[in-house]
Amino acid sequence: MNLLEKPTGGEIWFEGQNITDKNTDISILRQKMGMVFQQFNLFPHLTVLENITLAPVQLKLQSPQEAQNKAKGLLERIGLWDKAGAYPGQLSGGQKQRIAIVRALAMNPDVMLFDEPTSALDPEMVGEVLELMKELAKDGMTMVVVTHEMGFAREAATRVLFMDEGKILEQGAPDVFFGNPQHPRLQDFLSKVL
Amino acid sequence: MLEIFGGSFPLWIQGIQNSLYRTFVEKDRYMAFLKGIGVTLEISFFAVLLGTAIGVMVAVVKHMAGKHHFLRPLEWLLDAYVLVTRGTPVYVQLLILNTVVFASVKNKILVAVVTFGINSGAYVAEIIRAGINSVDKGQFEAGNSLGLRDGAVMRLIILPQAVRNILPALGNEFIALLKETSIAGTMAVNDLTKAAERIGGATYDLYTPLLSIAVIYFVLVFGMTRLLGVFERRLSKSDNR
Repeated sequence: MNLLEKPTGGEIWFEGQNITDKNTDISILRQKMGMVFQQFNLFPHLTVLENITLAPVQLKLQSPQEAQNKAKGLLERIGLWDKAGAYPGQLSGGQKQRIAIVRALAMNPDVMLFDEPTSALDPEMVGEVLELMKELAKDGMTMVVVTHEMGFAREAATRVLFMDEGKILEQGAPDVFFGNPQHPRLQDFLSKVL
Repeated sequence: MLEIFGGSFPLWIQGIQNSLYRTFVEKDRYMAFLKGIGVTLEISFFAVLLGTAIGVMVAVVKHMAGKHHFLRPLEWLLDAYVLVTRGTPVYVQLLILNTVVFASVKNKILVAVVTFGINSGAYVAEIIRAGINSVDKGQFEAGNSLGLRDGAVMRLIILPQAVRNILPALGNEFIALLKETSIAGTMAVNDLTKAAERIGGATYDLYTPLLSIAVIYFVLVFGMTRLLGVFERRLSKSDNR
């Protein structure tokens, strides 16, 4: 959705702009689209604080001081300000992913994309990450989440889509989606995971 | 035995003393060695800088060419450069550049720097390319996802990690380069090796100066190894777990 993968067909529109148009400057749009990866992808050679402030400062969206203050606020919110000077290698998976979320948040995005954010985590760490995501949802952040956490989808989502082999087979509000699934493939899926 | 050990010192030690005296002290010949070390270090240092600059540029362009197709023609050109440079002896390259390309250039140290820089660049390019490939693809994606352009991602995120991964190989290349400069003396450059040859010619004793510069080269390389070790430790500070 932010063209890290080249779409084979179709169009994507974001804030009135056709992302898939050749003349669109995707780098500018990506500044407004935060992304959180399955494998965290923190920058291992930079400290936590540098990870968060690198892009906003480099792109001149925030002064170094502003960026640092913003990072401090966000880190305090997730209770990891004491890790500001640590390197990603010194953190647990759950901490890394929460910091990856903060790194995306620091850009003040309009939408956040999550690519299976809890799939690479220890079961024990899944909770803290989902908790943070639920908070964001409550604050009104628009989020597109690819997930296998059905409980989370049911609780936090406004709209749930079920995809199989590149096609959307069913979509709807979570209570309908989970309570009364129509497509046999979805019924089969839900019976296995719930 | 007694005859050999007669006098205050054994004869063979006196012999060595004599040779060392003539090689280093007489007519202040140690100055020629010092100047030679200076020239060797000067050539090596600037050739390393030039070679690294060329190498990084070549590696980055070759990497980017996979995504930006307008770079393709440039990529072919750079491929040819790497192929030719690695495929011919550096001594031959030096002779060609000195007698054909830069025949009118008086500053032979400059010619040496350019030759060794261009030569080393081809090797450094391959090393850096390996380094770039060693960095996880997710690092590019994460950088791009934050709105950073490819150039910034490369400079701020990929290259620092790449260099860390390839520092031992890069160190090897720099050490090889330092020693390769010993052929610069075939032009009118008074590097360390040339200094030894000239002094040997003046004293009719080649053993002593040649063995001496072997020791000096060793010490220089040893110093460089130490320096690289310090770098490596610095760069691996983020490894602490």
